[in-house]
Amino acid sequence: MEIEELQSVWSEMSDQLEKQKKLTNELIMEMTQNRYTTKFDKLTFYETLGAVICFVMAIYLLVNITKLDTWYLLSCGIFTIAFLIILPVITLGLLGKIKRINIAKNSFKETIVSFTKTRNQLLLMQRVGIYLSFILVFTCLPVFSKIMKNKDLFLQTSTLIIYLPVMGIFMFFFSRWGYRCYRNITNSAENILKELET
Amino acid sequence: MGKEESFTRIIRENEGVIFKISTIYTQSEQDQKDLYQEIVYQLWKSFDSFRNESKISTWMYRVALNTAISQLNKSKKHSSNTGLDRVILKQTDNYDAEFENRLKIVYEHIHQLNILEKGLILLLLDGKKYGEISEITGLSITNVGTRISRIKQKLKSRILKK
Repeated sequence: MEIEELQSVWSEMSDQLEKQKKLTNELIMEMTQNRYTTKFDKLTFYETLGAVICFVMAIYLLVNITKLDTWYLLSCGIFTIAFLIILPVITLGLLGKIKRINIAKNSFKETIVSFTKTRNQLLLMQRVGIYLSFILVFTCLPVFSKIMKNKDLFLQTSTLIIYLPVMGIFMFFFSRWGYRCYRNITNSAENILKELET
Repeated sequence: MGKEESFTRIIRENEGVIFKISTIYTQSEQDQKDLYQEIVYQLWKSFDSFRNESKISTWMYRVALNTAISQLNKSKKHSSNTGLDRVILKQTDNYDAEFENRLKIVYEHIHQLNILEKGLILLLLDGKKYGEISEITGLSITNVGTRISRIKQKLKSRILKK
């Protein structure tokens, strides 16, 4: 297929689309007024729900923080609380930034630059989150174990011997997968940014 | 003419544009439908700010392309390309099988371009002049020309490889 043929197929399709008027006035207004529940909305819902769960857990830990009676359990507790609050707040903030892109006023170039930059920040946060979750795996179980069952896991070495390697292996594969996804997406995004900013 | 009446008239006159943009920026039927609705919704939201300062088509392409970009991270990460077949066939009641195949090839070539190139090639194929493409994209006219010739080269080499 030559470029000219590509153009002719495209214009033939455009002509056909011109003839096929499928939308009715009612359907158009329905799309503008009763926003359908799309997958886009569902995604935002799950992200918000995830953040709410993190906040509830953080509040639970804060309320029970006095039960963490050793310096190491308290340190684990503070790290877990910070992780559960800071990461979701930053992620939701960046998602909000994407939503606030001015679609009506921005040019296509401005939208691509804003979107790509914010998405890169979002992906960076996800990457940081993956690495921090290595530490979280180590900190959250002793904290919850102490608060909920009053057991200090650091004194029960047999549990730690099983728990740490299993979680370590899981986290190794999970983070490797996460890093690959991140690398592929950001490489192509970086190229577009470079192209547009030169 | 009332606001709703003018809006529905404009959308009905340009539904093909929304269809094409929502098709080239998505990989599955569901994503395409979602994007289509989102574009109509965003056009309605920004309809008041449209004050005839630019052509209707310029405003429409700009809002639709911007919407497509802003929704990119929300589409399925690993959607199947098979949806594309259904998307094209659905809208093409009167096409013959041979034309459908050629159209599928066209979409496949466009889908391989990056997000900026997709927008530029769509505008070019829709017969927009460099001046209007520049107004929609925010690129200078010279830049539009350079990029379009690069895209043509890219497409040509891919087409020759096939």
